[in-house]
Amino acid sequence: MALQPLDPVTVDVIGAHLLAVAREMGVVLVRSSYSSNVKERQDCSASILDGQGLTIAQAEHIPLHMGSMLGIAEHILRKFTLANIHPGDLFLANDPYSGGGTHLPDITLAAPYFYDGQLVAFVSNIAHHAEVGGALRGATDIHSEGLRIPPVKVCDAGRWRQDVLDLLLLNFRLPQERQGDLRAQFAAGRVGLQRLGELYARYGGDTVAAAIKTLRLKASRQIRQAISLVPDGTYAFTDWMDADDGGREAIAVIITVADDVLTLDFSSCAAQSTGTHNVTFPALKATVLYAVRALLDPSLPANTGFYDAVRIVAPPGSIVNAVPPAAVNNRSDTCQRIVDAIFGALAPALPSRVPAAGNGAVTGILFSGYDPYRHRFFSYIETLGGGSGARPTKDGLDGVHVHVTNTSNLPVEALETEYPLRVEKYELVAGSGGAGEFRGGLGLCRQIRILADQINYRSKGDRVVTPPWGLAGGEAGGTASFILNPGTSAARPLGPRMQGVLLDCNDVIAVTTPGAGGFGDPTRRAAAARERDQREGKVGANGRLE
Amino acid sequence: MPPSKLRLGIDVGGTFTDVCLVDGFNRQWIHKVPSTPVDQSNGIAHGLTEILALAQAQAEAVIFLAHGTTVATNAVLEHKLAPVGLLTTQGFRDLLEIRRQKRPDLYDLNVDQPPPLVLRHLRLEVPERLTHTGEVLMALDEAAVRSAAEVLCRHGVQSIAICFLYAYLNPEHERLARAILLKAYPHLAVCLSHEVLPEFREFERFSTTAANAALVPVLGPYLTNFASRTAALGITVRPYIMQSNGGVASINAAAALPVHTVLSGPSAGVIGAIYIGRQCGFDNLITLDMGGTSTDVSLVAHGVPRITGDKEIAGNPLRIPAIDIHTIGAGGGSIARVDTGLHLKVGPESAGVWPGPAAYGHGGTLPTVTDANVVLGRLNPQQMLGGRMTIDAESARQALSQHVAQPLGLALAAAARGVVAVVNANMALAARLVSAEKGYDPRDFVLIAFGGAGPLHAAYIAEELGIRRILIPPRPGILCALGLLVTDLRSDFSQSVLCLANGAALPQINAAWSALTARAAAWWQQEEIAPAAQLLEGAADFRYLGQHFELRVKAKPGQWTESDLTALIAAFHAEHERQYAYHAAEESVQLVTLRVTAYGLVDKSAGELALDDAPEGTAVLWLGERWVDWDGQPGRVLTPIYNRAGLQPGAKITGPAIIEQMDSTTVVPPDYQMTVLDGGSLLLEGSLPAGEGGDQGE
Repeated sequence: MALQPLDPVTVDVIGAHLLAVAREMGVVLVRSSYSSNVKERQDCSASILDGQGLTIAQAEHIPLHMGSMLGIAEHILRKFTLANIHPGDLFLANDPYSGGGTHLPDITLAAPYFYDGQLVAFVSNIAHHAEVGGALRGATDIHSEGLRIPPVKVCDAGRWRQDVLDLLLLNFRLPQERQGDLRAQFAAGRVGLQRLGELYARYGGDTVAAAIKTLRLKASRQIRQAISLVPDGTYAFTDWMDADDGGREAIAVIITVADDVLTLDFSSCAAQSTGTHNVTFPALKATVLYAVRALLDPSLPANTGFYDAVRIVAPPGSIVNAVPPAAVNNRSDTCQRIVDAIFGALAPALPSRVPAAGNGAVTGILFSGYDPYRHRFFSYIETLGGGSGARPTKDGLDGVHVHVTNTSNLPVEALETEYPLRVEKYELVAGSGGAGEFRGGLGLCRQIRILADQINYRSKGDRVVTPPWGLAGGEAGGTASFILNPGTSAARPLGPRMQGVLLDCNDVIAVTTPGAGGFGDPTRRAAAARERDQREGKVGANGRLE
Repeated sequence: MPPSKLRLGIDVGGTFTDVCLVDGFNRQWIHKVPSTPVDQSNGIAHGLTEILALAQAQAEAVIFLAHGTTVATNAVLEHKLAPVGLLTTQGFRDLLEIRRQKRPDLYDLNVDQPPPLVLRHLRLEVPERLTHTGEVLMALDEAAVRSAAEVLCRHGVQSIAICFLYAYLNPEHERLARAILLKAYPHLAVCLSHEVLPEFREFERFSTTAANAALVPVLGPYLTNFASRTAALGITVRPYIMQSNGGVASINAAAALPVHTVLSGPSAGVIGAIYIGRQCGFDNLITLDMGGTSTDVSLVAHGVPRITGDKEIAGNPLRIPAIDIHTIGAGGGSIARVDTGLHLKVGPESAGVWPGPAAYGHGGTLPTVTDANVVLGRLNPQQMLGGRMTIDAESARQALSQHVAQPLGLALAAAARGVVAVVNANMALAARLVSAEKGYDPRDFVLIAFGGAGPLHAAYIAEELGIRRILIPPRPGILCALGLLVTDLRSDFSQSVLCLANGAALPQINAAWSALTARAAAWWQQEEIAPAAQLLEGAADFRYLGQHFELRVKAKPGQWTESDLTALIAAFHAEHERQYAYHAAEESVQLVTLRVTAYGLVDKSAGELALDDAPEGTAVLWLGERWVDWDGQPGRVLTPIYNRAGLQPGAKITGPAIIEQMDSTTVVPPDYQMTVLDGGSLLLEGSLPAGEGGDQGE
């Protein structure tokens, strides 16, 4: 079809409308879902893709989800081909190797949208499901991490495939909760299709297609302009992950800025790990795109127009581009380190923009087992914020999620009402913000008492060994710790990524998340800021539990 | 005959204080005076004195006085709060500062959190703990309360919020702590979380309670001052204060729960819109209140505003009953700019009152929505405010040309249309948010547009939404002040119960109803509301077991039987279906919170307010004509300009036309039919193509 050039205002109006459709899907998903993970913590996202599966608009709650959105339609098109995709189809997928996902708990839904008989778009949404099967006491490969779902049709031209749904639900330990969350994803998809239909009816297919094309061109121009303002050159940085064996693993990047193209080379990263913190390519790509957008131009729209100015080199088999059967469940900690490395590399090129390292982890704890009070199996996951890095002109934020994630905490009053757990402490960790002219943000400490026997405990996180770095003379922030039964004679530190730990009634887990690096020479900190820190007890004695 | 039975509404905005006076014969006086931000009561006293003189009326003849104030709103927005202390459960003093641990923006590395409502050194913990069933796990350490109070008072706090976990289930610890505090420091203002908000989810409850505690020392003195100024003028009735829930409360009630006034600003406008809508025979409305810097949009179904409990202001969640109003940062004064991606953006930056739009000729050089409307000829390019202000159209053209037309490579008229189109699209998306996202089809509603700029944009916004009918009140610029005159007294009470919705829970449920209705009765007594004026409504929040958000269903506010419960569960399924397009009949349903709303009905029997601008037949109708740029028309069209004051009920006009009045300008696009209704409101009817929009029946 011939595309007429559109006036810029119609383009922007259609762009705003597309974004509104994605956001409305996100709202429906959050409000109608079941699990605390989606509802209270909003661990979900929604987007609109074009007929080729390229992103048009996103309602993002979590930057890392962009990875799964990028991947799913591509795999659907490859597997089913156009001949087998019909109006009324609904697809699900979660597999990082064959379904475009980034880890198994993120189940992605995609529904094709047809206009005038042509496949012109997909609506897609993603929810982090709290339990997707797999080994309870620890995974060693992707198979033991849960049920792998390649793109499958759960609804075929409007007819539900109950057999497929039954197969999925049979493999989950909380089928009712999964069904509730999936239903919310389906409802959000339906709303997305309906609203997209109204948009196409209003403007017509040619106009919408022309607008999308123009929006992409604009995004491409916008990113290229931003890149061309970065001094040309080669910038390298290596940061470190805590390895499962007590050692450390390199996350290294060499960034080349040449005119208006950015190349990120991850060839010197560690080999893929036998642990669970490997990253697949879609997650790497989403992470890189997050870092580029945050550093160069936060107003960049989430559409693929801006992706083509950013090139990524990552050898298969490395920790940032893992191959099967590597386990990937805890990829988000590694993604945070990738951001740290990119920020570290570009700090000399953009000294007035790059902050010191943030908490650099997606610290998480997961409890599961039989709840004797409510007579049911339960699975509870939560992730905790930490410090955000001090900025060139101001302090970092205390106790927040940084970079690739951003989820809410669960209210104590909701958590204790639902699970055999009791929260005993939830506080900022004094002294965990790296000193500097501008102070790094503080980490968090959360202490939970177990109220039942034989409860499985799993954790994820990082920066137990290597602290978040400071910049321009600022000091490093506090490290993380995971302690069983703190303050007792049985106190015992646990590693950041534990699997297969069994806890009994009255055991206590205390998690301390990393703080963040400071920025600038600490002796230059303003007197008023020092006084405020002292008065509010945010510096001094490290409140971490020993 | 001297005016008697006077009813007064006073709405204080950022720029102007509007006073509206109606007497027993439905005669109406309107007066605008400059607001006095340092002490709003100065401007009010000034406005009251002048309007009584205008009407040649006696203060003693005032029988009703309602006041909409932004004192609490501004205190929160500008963080000018009283020093407040927090006493909380051991282990949780940082909860107020950690919030929900999310950063405010995903990509902007420079974003900051708003300052916490209570500073860290003023947040103290005391040993005590309840379980999730309300049982005492650890008794309150009374000595710790005493020493914490001593520390806080040494730091000079004027009020203290007491926020314990699960206090909504068992308030004993909070009550005991208050008794200890007040015994030692009787001057302190003390707010308890279970009294301010007896609902679960601790952060929101604590935050709302802390905000209330921080506002008590701010709003209390203001209200005392306000009351004594009105008394000094000779007004003898007890004044009422507008609340966020769309009702008014007495001064004492507002002073005790100042947090309930924080979102009250736009709510009087919605009440006014409902009143005008009813007068014209419409009770399904989308309200659009477009002012200089922001626009408020809300939905009214069957004459009832939607009430929500999850609003946020300046980054602080406030769980107070509030009319569900969506505010966007765009209005007539919003600045248009082209960003780095060559996207045309309008707002949220505003040219403000000074210098204002370039067209005001006060030195503003950035193009605003007003400037675009001047360039298009939709706003009078010579003068505004009935001639009190001259317009500098050349500056408007220059600003728009330099900052929009040139960067985008557009002709001036196209750039101006573009600015208006972007702002209209934003308004339409906001209207979708309050309608389509809540499961309502906007096409079933009438758009009622007010505020200075609402009538200027309404027709095109309606078109975006597929809405065919638009209502413009007689005085679009002062609808809030009018709304205050027709607002009932209202107080909302809630109680979380968190039980499975089945017969076994009926004793627990009915005990909660008894407690709630007792609180409503106590409120009626305290507000001295006669039995004939008492009205009680009930609602219940349900969810599927395992869900984390509730849906509200209307419910009988009293003793439920098993069949009541069954009917309510069915209503919940239906509401779930309506909002989320599915329901799950086989799932267990949980009852989360019970609610009652108590009203004290205000006497509105004075009849319909006659809102004519001038004595009948004395105003000119025809103001002339000018060239106006219309969407969908290639060139400019010579368009007649009418004087609103000259329009008599029954008059019909076919667009294009522009209707000018002192406080607003109404745009009637080509092919629209405009009818002047009894009472003076304008009804605009578009001619949408068949199949889109249209009537959904009267």
